Amino acid sequence: MRAEDQNRAVAEVVSRVVGSVTKGGSQSLERALAETIYHERKRIERGSSSRSRAKQLSAWDRRRSQLVRGSDTVRRRVLEDLVTRFTREVLGNFDPKVHAMATRAVPFGLSALLHASSPQQLLHRFPQLGLDDRIEVNGAVDHARALQDKGTLVCVPTHSSNLDSIVLGYGMHEQGFPPLLYGAGLNLFKNPLVGYFMRNLGAYTVDRRKTAPIYKQVLKEYAGVALEFGYHSLFFPGGTRSRSGEIETKLKLGLLGTTIPAFANSLALKRPKPRLFVVPMVLSYELVLEAETLIDDHLQAEGKARYIITDDEFSSPLRVFQFMRGILELDARIYLTLLPPRDPFGNPVDEEGRSVDASGREIDISRYLCAAGGEPADDPHRDQEYTRELGQHLVADYLRGNTVFPTHLVAFSAFSALEEMHPQRDLYRLLRSGAEDESLLFGDLARRCDGVREQLLQLEAAGRVRLSRRVRSLDGGDLVVHALRSWGTYHTRPALSRRGDRIDATDRNLLLYYRNRLTGYGLGRREPCKQT
Amino acid sequence: MQADVAVLGGGSWGTILAHLAAHNGQRTALWMRNPQACETLNATHTNPRYLGETPLAEGITATTELGEAVRGTPVVIFCVPSKASRAVARQAGEFLTGDQVVLSATKGLEPESFHTVTELLRAETCALKIGAISGPNLAKEIVRGQPSATVVASRFHEVIVRATEALHSSLFRIYGQDDLRGVELAGALKNVIAIACGAAAGLGFGHNVRAMLVTRGLAEIQRLGVKLGADPLTFSGLAGVGDLLVTCGSELSRNFRVGRGVAQGKTLAQVVEELGEVAEGVNTTHVALALASREEVAMPITEAVKDLLDGKVAAQEILQDLMGRAARYEIDFDYTAEVSA
Repeated sequence: MRAEDQNRAVAEVVSRVVGSVTKGGSQSLERALAETIYHERKRIERGSSSRSRAKQLSAWDRRRSQLVRGSDTVRRRVLEDLVTRFTREVLGNFDPKVHAMATRAVPFGLSALLHASSPQQLLHRFPQLGLDDRIEVNGAVDHARALQDKGTLVCVPTHSSNLDSIVLGYGMHEQGFPPLLYGAGLNLFKNPLVGYFMRNLGAYTVDRRKTAPIYKQVLKEYAGVALEFGYHSLFFPGGTRSRSGEIETKLKLGLLGTTIPAFANSLALKRPKPRLFVVPMVLSYELVLEAETLIDDHLQAEGKARYIITDDEFSSPLRVFQFMRGILELDARIYLTLLPPRDPFGNPVDEEGRSVDASGREIDISRYLCAAGGEPADDPHRDQEYTRELGQHLVADYLRGNTVFPTHLVAFSAFSALEEMHPQRDLYRLLRSGAEDESLLFGDLARRCDGVREQLLQLEAAGRVRLSRRVRSLDGGDLVVHALRSWGTYHTRPALSRRGDRIDATDRNLLLYYRNRLTGYGLGRREPCKQT
Repeated sequence: MQADVAVLGGGSWGTILAHLAAHNGQRTALWMRNPQACETLNATHTNPRYLGETPLAEGITATTELGEAVRGTPVVIFCVPSKASRAVARQAGEFLTGDQVVLSATKGLEPESFHTVTELLRAETCALKIGAISGPNLAKEIVRGQPSATVVASRFHEVIVRATEALHSSLFRIYGQDDLRGVELAGALKNVIAIACGAAAGLGFGHNVRAMLVTRGLAEIQRLGVKLGADPLTFSGLAGVGDLLVTCGSELSRNFRVGRGVAQGKTLAQVVEELGEVAEGVNTTHVALALASREEVAMPITEAVKDLLDGKVAAQEILQDLMGRAARYEIDFDYTAEVSA
């Protein structure tokens, strides 16, 4: 966020959060403070042991005693302090010490790149990495570009890798879009390369270890205020990276839900460009950097998305380097597909920024904020339903915008062959087993791939999915060969490996991960393949 | 005059809904296609074609102009046959705005797309505050002043509140629900079972057969509904079992009469001709089977109804086939499991 807007934003966020707490009276104020102190103490206790921990804890204890003894005026002041601190932290808390340490650990080639003195310079030098022609931005790019001056863009991509931010930052920059405001988890800053991009993306920090409800409210209000100020923004509506490899079907509607109040406030305040345009985006990778960790996490039934991965392939610069080298060697592409923008209520928007219905008639979206036959009415429950509706459209858009690579197609075909071999086994047994006599015949797998490819070509013709050029042009056998090579160049253990005319499922978890990307299209019979 | 409520469709159920709203003191517009019926209703407050000489509430104004009924009216109720719903929705979309509450009172599914009527309304108009009305409501009983209850389903609280304001009275109780999908599916699918019950009556069977068809029929439509995202409990409510009880035993139910007529040896075309009204169950039978095959759900009674309506197999034989199926467990966690030693 630009410096001149920061103080205004902080004041706005603080007044909204404090206002909403104190609206509930003395009891609500007390509860909010007690909760925050509880959650913050817990967080500090969980953290690494140090002298600062004792100091921090005693600071919270002081606040607690203030809270117990103080009047409502004192409590309100404590709350204001807290919220202000949280807000300032969110706006810009970049720890240079962490950054410097991580930079030293980067291998030479990358670190030379990283020592570019500014993000601008870095972007300029990015092509030297060779990734520039690997990222292909396609879909409704012109449509979104036409809207950037008519209102505020809310970009909502799928999320499968921490590299998403780099790809997005670079891809959107190349297409001439302005930087996007983005809430990035602290763990992302562990990787210095991404750290730079984060800042260029206009990142603010999200500390997932902070669990106090007030902190979450600050994040949400800040996102909303930024939208009202006209900052083009980026949210990942899936919340975290897809663990299973599937395209997200369950969206977190919290941040997405800030769009309607932002629109309503801008309308009420008669701001010049009150409209918001939600741009669905799909990032498609032939190989996913963190595939191994993600699918393991998915399969650990206990952990799921609650478990925060702090150390994965992404925090190892070497793995990132290997991954990028893999992408280069394979002549693989990363697709960033933009789908036609929608308004916050889910309706399509034309290039003039007008919301339209199925017959192309313009919709006056301000009427959605009114009671039936009446005046504007504040109704959070109603707005939540609108957002849910928008979410359903996004899920359908994601399926349409997804690009299928050979790795997905071959994994899908091989996995369904394994399932048919053992119809009685549940998913876990299927993943555990792997005797030699369970290998597939190369020719069988190739034929199966041809069948799936045929179905995919039909889906593509109906506009329900996108295919990479290799999936479009190669036959089943070549697809298998290519997929094997792709996995082999990067993953520690490839999902499939070849022994003469036989194919072994070497890493079934990985196979499941890549297979899951084709969930939701009604391919084959047994789907979706979930652990429940 | 700006209406409070608009009802689109001047068949028996649409006319009754308009009557109930007007009875509640709402200024009610009723959109009808037929200019003569429209004129008659405004002049005499009757709808002779569907409801005989029964007098209707005076607050109803009939019109053949869709825009006049829809424009600016806070609550709009669609009550046209499912086959015509999309076209009417598209036309009405010209006049609708996002604040308006829109309800569907049609118990059917669109033949080609398998969409429920509210899905059509969403697809063809800008309306978002959408809901459905469904329940055991025989028009001819309500118009005689007999009490009745129904479900209004919507994810939007405002829709339930506005529909209740418009329609709830000592004659007509409204229950709110948020399982819109379940309510629409229950209302549509139960018509198929009504045809089966009509056929059983036509063959001269008594209460045992009817009870069997109703409960086992409910089990199969619930099974399909749940696959399609409905809450199973909805099928035990007014829109499910409530509506089944009425349509499966009443001479006043169109779908029941279709089943009875065909079982007695008439052709489907003859029966529909005699009825003079749309029986949604005929179309729903085909949609239900297509959905059942897609979702891999067993629906033996629905299949039997299809055979019956096709007229290729005698009714008696169809029933024998149903009875000849293997024994199964009633609460079917796994429907394919047969009882065997």
